[in-house]
Amino acid sequence: MIKDLIYMNGYGIFVWLSFFITFVVCGVVYLKTYKTLKKYEKEFASEIQELSSERKKIILKKSRVASQALSSYKETI
Amino acid sequence: MIKFFNISSIFVWIEKLINFINSIFFILLLIAISIALIFSPADYLQGDSVRIMYVHVPAAWIALGSFSSLALLSFLNFIFKIKNLSLISKSIAPIGLMFTFLAIVTGSLWGRPTWGTFWVWDARITSMVILAFFYFLFILSHKLILDEEKANRISSLVAIIGFINVPIIKYSVDWWNTLHQPASIKITGSSTIHSSMMLPLLLMFSVLILYCALIFLMKYKTEIIRIKKKNLKRL
Repeated sequence: MIKDLIYMNGYGIFVWLSFFITFVVCGVVYLKTYKTLKKYEKEFASEIQELSSERKKIILKKSRVASQALSSYKETI
Repeated sequence: MIKFFNISSIFVWIEKLINFINSIFFILLLIAISIALIFSPADYLQGDSVRIMYVHVPAAWIALGSFSSLALLSFLNFIFKIKNLSLISKSIAPIGLMFTFLAIVTGSLWGRPTWGTFWVWDARITSMVILAFFYFLFILSHKLILDEEKANRISSLVAIIGFINVPIIKYSVDWWNTLHQPASIKITGSSTIHSSMMLPLLLMFSVLILYCALIFLMKYKTEIIRIKKKNLKRL
């Protein structure tokens, strides 16, 4: 049964390679996208943290994106 | 309604959607792969090599669908100059390029056992390579042109011109004599694919669409943060 699944009557190399390439490429793109997102979140959050507390308060009140990004970054660390 | 399309409102929903997709993705993937590789039948003519269809066809559909939406968004952006539309198209383009590449590679791997060759310059394959070239140009225009307005204009033009290639890809198998088989699944008219193969095909398509949504949302979120980061001093 397992042997049949692997060899697939001689077509196994083509079938498995197709699925392998698809999932490796998808996995690499996922990891790269995730890392870039986290890098930007981190940079954005640290830029907000560096601001004076008064300005930080204003920005977090004004921008939902800033407050959301900051809380999302805090969750990951 | 306008508030719904506001970047800040969308941003709140992105995280929720990413979490939702993550929660169902692997279960669906496992089901789809099991059916595609184990439980679906082999083809009477092509044997087990037909299983390549379950990654090749969804990849090609996504590649074409992504470019069509890219062209539509670029056309709307060209007229209405909505910044959000260019952010969306910038996030879609790399996904489309990736699936164009996958459609070409898996098609080539399918070609070897069925046609006896990995590559021929036939109408369908050549037009898919041209599609990859247009995706590449679109991404390159955003990477190389530093003035964002100009980059948006040029990339929009690339997408609109490139859209001419989409119907050529679709009908290439009907217009020219090609090695590539004609479409088995038709939106209008009856499909010539058996339900035992249609089910894994649609399942794999759904899984890959979910994957696209996940990558798109992450890329879109990155783009929003990048813009907000740039505008932080102005706030």
